[in-house]
Amino acid sequence: MEEESGEELGLDRSTPKDFHFYHMDLYDSEDRLHLFPEENTRMRKVVQAEMANESRGAGDGKAQRDLQEEVDELVHLYGLEDDHELGDEFVDENIPRTGVSEYPPYMMKRRDPAREQRDWRLSGEAAEAEDLGFGGWGSAGQCQDLREAYRYTHGRASEEYECYVIPEEEDEEEAADVFCVTCKTPIRAFQKVFDEHKEHEVIPLNEALESAKDEIHKNMYKLEKQIIEMENFANHLEEVFITVEENFGKQEQNFESHYNEILETLAQKYEEKIQALGEKKKEKLEALYGQLVSCGENLDTCKELMETIEEMCHEEKVDFIKDAVAMADRLGKFLKTKTDVEISAQPEFEDQTLDFSDVEQLMGSINTIPAPSAPVINPQVPNSATGSSVRVCWSLYSDDTVESYQLSYRPVQDSSPGTDQAAPSPPIIKTKEIRSCEEAVLICWESGNLNPVDSYTVELTQAESPEASGVTDSASLYRSVVGIPTCESVVQLQPGRSYIIYVRALNMGGPSVRSEPATVHTIGSYFRLNKDTCHPWLTISEDGLTAVRSERRTPARELSPSDTHFTRCVAVMGNLIPVRGHHYWEVEVDEHLDYRVGVAFADVRKQEDLGANCLSWCMRHTFASSRHKYEFLHNRTTPDIRITVPPKKIGILLDYEHSKLSFFNVDLSQHLYTFSCQLHEFVHPCFSLEKPGCLKVHNGISMPKHVTFY
Amino acid sequence: MKFAVYLPPKAETGKCPALYWLSGLTCTEQNFISKSGYHQSASEHGLVVIAPDTSPRGCNIKGEDESWDFGTGAGFYVDATEDPWKTNYRMYSYVTEELPQLINANFPVDPQRMSIFGHSMGGHGALICALKNPGKYKSVSAFAPICNPVLCPWGKKAFSGYLGTDQSKWKAYDATHLVKSYPGSQLDILIDQGKDDQFLLDGQLLPDNFIAACTEKKIPVVFRLQEGYDHSYYFIATFITDHIRHHAKYLNA
Repeated sequence: MEEESGEELGLDRSTPKDFHFYHMDLYDSEDRLHLFPEENTRMRKVVQAEMANESRGAGDGKAQRDLQEEVDELVHLYGLEDDHELGDEFVDENIPRTGVSEYPPYMMKRRDPAREQRDWRLSGEAAEAEDLGFGGWGSAGQCQDLREAYRYTHGRASEEYECYVIPEEEDEEEAADVFCVTCKTPIRAFQKVFDEHKEHEVIPLNEALESAKDEIHKNMYKLEKQIIEMENFANHLEEVFITVEENFGKQEQNFESHYNEILETLAQKYEEKIQALGEKKKEKLEALYGQLVSCGENLDTCKELMETIEEMCHEEKVDFIKDAVAMADRLGKFLKTKTDVEISAQPEFEDQTLDFSDVEQLMGSINTIPAPSAPVINPQVPNSATGSSVRVCWSLYSDDTVESYQLSYRPVQDSSPGTDQAAPSPPIIKTKEIRSCEEAVLICWESGNLNPVDSYTVELTQAESPEASGVTDSASLYRSVVGIPTCESVVQLQPGRSYIIYVRALNMGGPSVRSEPATVHTIGSYFRLNKDTCHPWLTISEDGLTAVRSERRTPARELSPSDTHFTRCVAVMGNLIPVRGHHYWEVEVDEHLDYRVGVAFADVRKQEDLGANCLSWCMRHTFASSRHKYEFLHNRTTPDIRITVPPKKIGILLDYEHSKLSFFNVDLSQHLYTFSCQLHEFVHPCFSLEKPGCLKVHNGISMPKHVTFY
Repeated sequence: MKFAVYLPPKAETGKCPALYWLSGLTCTEQNFISKSGYHQSASEHGLVVIAPDTSPRGCNIKGEDESWDFGTGAGFYVDATEDPWKTNYRMYSYVTEELPQLINANFPVDPQRMSIFGHSMGGHGALICALKNPGKYKSVSAFAPICNPVLCPWGKKAFSGYLGTDQSKWKAYDATHLVKSYPGSQLDILIDQGKDDQFLLDGQLLPDNFIAACTEKKIPVVFRLQEGYDHSYYFIATFITDHIRHHAKYLNA
C-alpha cells in the first residue's frame, strides 16, 4: 500500500519507517458490499495474474474498456445472457475494486479507474490482436477477444475453432460453432462432414457473426439517414403547407378587394345614371305639363270668347255693336298674344354615353401585381456607423410581396448649402460633473444654443496615452451615440482605458462642430461631492473632493428640514454613476477626527444621521478620552468590533452584484468590516464630519488586490 | 503523533500554501476536520490545511488523564521543562519545527508560505507561535483564544504543571506579554469571540487585555464580538470562511 500511495502522489523519496498512511475513503474497506462470497479466492487469482502480467502499460487500459463494452454488447445482442459462466467472469473481475455492483452481471458497463492493474484478460494472443489493428467494429481483434472469452469459459484454445475436425471433447454443449454459407444456418463443425452440408461452403462462426453484424450495421446506418431525411422533409412540407395557406389568404384578399371595388364603382354609376334619367324625365314632364296648363287656359279663354261672341250675335243691334267693338278689341289683343305651339320637351332622351373608363381600369388592374408600399427607414441606431460605413435598417409595414430592395445614397455636406436653417453651435460639456466607473461614463453638457436642438451626438475616441489631447478628427472614432434627446448620456466603455469625448448638437441645418473635448479614464470610479446635498456647515472644495467643517461660533439654530441637503447630520453625498457592478474609492481622514463614511440612497432622510435609518450604511469613528471607537451603523445597529490601529485611509468597496459594502484600512491592507445590503436602487457615497476637520476623497483608484478577496 | 491533512484540488498540480490549525482543550486531530466546515473555503483558495493533535498520547505519564484541562488533550503548545512532562510534552517545538519539516518533506506545500490559526487553547497556541516567530507566519487568526494565560485559571494550572513556578518562564508563552515586546514585521490579526461564551464570562479568555496591549503597540487587530455565539464548533463553523479568506489574502498575495 505504501508504494501505491507513493505513486499516486508522484513523489520519489524513501518512506520513513514509522510512517503509515490510512486513506480516509468515503467507504472504508470493511463497509464495501460483498456480493460474491468467493471474492477472496478470486482476488488471489487476480493478483496472481497481475503479477504475471506486470509488463502491461496503461495503454491497454483503453483497449480493455472497449473490449469490455464490445463483449458485453455482443453477449447481450446474441442472447448469451443465459450463459452465466461467461457473464460471471466479468462480474467478478470488477468486484474487488469497486465493490458496489447494482447491475445484472451482463450489463456491466463500468469505467474502472484501476484498470491498469487488471491485465489478466489480455495475454499473448490479444497482443496479436492489437497488432491486427484493433479498435472498432468487425476487426479481427474483436473476434480474437470473443474467442478469448470463450476460451476462458470453456477451457479451450482458440485455434480449435479454426479446424473443421470433430474435437474429441465435443459432448458438453450443443452450441453451433461454424456457419454454413450456402444454407445460411449455423451448424456444428462435424455436420460439415455429413449429409447436406458436404459440398457447402463453411466459415467459422465468428466470421459469420461479424459479417452478419456488418450487414445489419450498414443497413442500420442507411435507415438512420433515411429517418433524418424523411423528418426533414416532413418539416419542410409543413412549412410549405403553412406558406400555401398564407399565400392563398393573400391572393383571396387581394382579389376580393379589387372585385369589390369594381362592383362598387358600377353600382355607383348605375345610381348616377338612373338619377340623372329620373331628373330629366321630371324636367320634361314639368315643362310639358306647364305647356298643357297654359294651353288649357288658352283654350278656356278661346271658348269663353266664342261663347260671348255667340251670345253677342243674339243681341239687339245697338248692344251688338257696342260689344262687338269691345270684342273686336279683345279678340285683337288676344290673338296677338303668341300662342306657343312648340312642344317644349322632346319625348326622346338623349343618349348619354357613360364613362366606364375607371371601371375598365379597375378591371384591368385585377390582374396586375400592385407595387409594394414604401419601406420605412429606421432611425440610426447608436454604434452603427464608423468612419467609412454606415448600417442602414428599414422595415416594411405591409403584406406586399417584395422581390428585392434597392438602396441608393448620396453624400450630404456637413453644412449643406441651400438649407434654410443654420447648423447649431457646439454644446459645452460639464467636465466637473463627469462620473465614471470601470465600465461606463455619465456625461452631461449644456446645450450651447438658445434655440431648441433636435438631438445630440456623443463621439468618443480612445486616447493612446492619458495626455494625448491633441487628437485630430481623423483619429479612429471608437464610438458615436446618436439621437440623444437630453443633455446627458451614459456610454458603456472598456475598463482600464482612456477616452476623449466630444458632443455635437444637431438640427435641420445639420450637426454642429465638435465641442471642446473631455477626458475619461476607466480606472476605478470617479465621482464628486454634490454641493446641493451639503449641510450648510460644510464647505466643499473646488475640485469637489474635499469636505471641510470649520470651527463655528454660530448658535445651533434649528435648520429647516430639506429634501435636498442635510440639516442634522453634517454630511454631504457624492454623485456616483448610476451603474451597477463594483465601485471602489478611498477616504483620507485624520486619526482624531470624528466621522462617518459610507453610502446612502439618494432619497435618504436628510434630517437624520447617517446610519440611523435603513437607507444608509456607514462606518463611524469617534475619538474620546484617547480611545478610538468604531461602529458600523445601519438602522441604528452596529456589531461589536474593536480595531487596534486606527485607519488613516479607508478603502470602500461597493459591490452591487454581491450586495456588499466593505471597508478596509488601505495602509495595512486590512479588512475591517462588510455589510450585506439590499441595494434595490442606486446608492451614493456619503460622508459626515461630526467635529471640525476635513476629509478628502480619492478617486479613480483601481481595486487593490487584497480588496478583491471580498 | 497523529495529524490530519487536507489537500485542495490545486495541490494536484502544484505546491500550495500551508495553513495550520491548532485545536483546543480535549480535542484530537479529528474535531476540526469533521466539524468546522472549512473544506469549501480551503478548496476555493487552494490552501493545504494541517490539523495536529493537541498533545502526545499514551505516554503513560502518571496523571496525564486526570483532568481534561491538563495533560492528555491539553498540551498548551509549550515545551515543558518540568518532570515528568518534559520528555514528551513539547508541543511548541512540534508545531513550529517538527511538524512543518515533516509536512514540507512529504506534501505539496510551499515552505515559504505558512499561516496559523486556532481555537481556544489553539488560539493561544497560534498567537504565541506567530508572536514568537516574527516573519515565519504570513498571517494569524483565532477563535475565542486564551489571550492571557498567565492570569487565567487554565493557564495557571497548565503552566505551573509544565513550566514550574517561575512566572518569567510563563510569560514567554503568553500572547499578551509577547505582544508588548513584539519587534517584528506587520501582523494582521483577526479574532472572533462569541459573546455568550461561558469561558469568556468565567474569565478564562481575557481578550480585552490582549486588545489593549495591541492598541498600545499598534499591532493591527480586528476583534469581533459575535452576539449570541458560544464556545462551540458551531461558532467556528459560522465564521471559518472569513478566517480562511483572511489567510488566503496573505498566502495567495
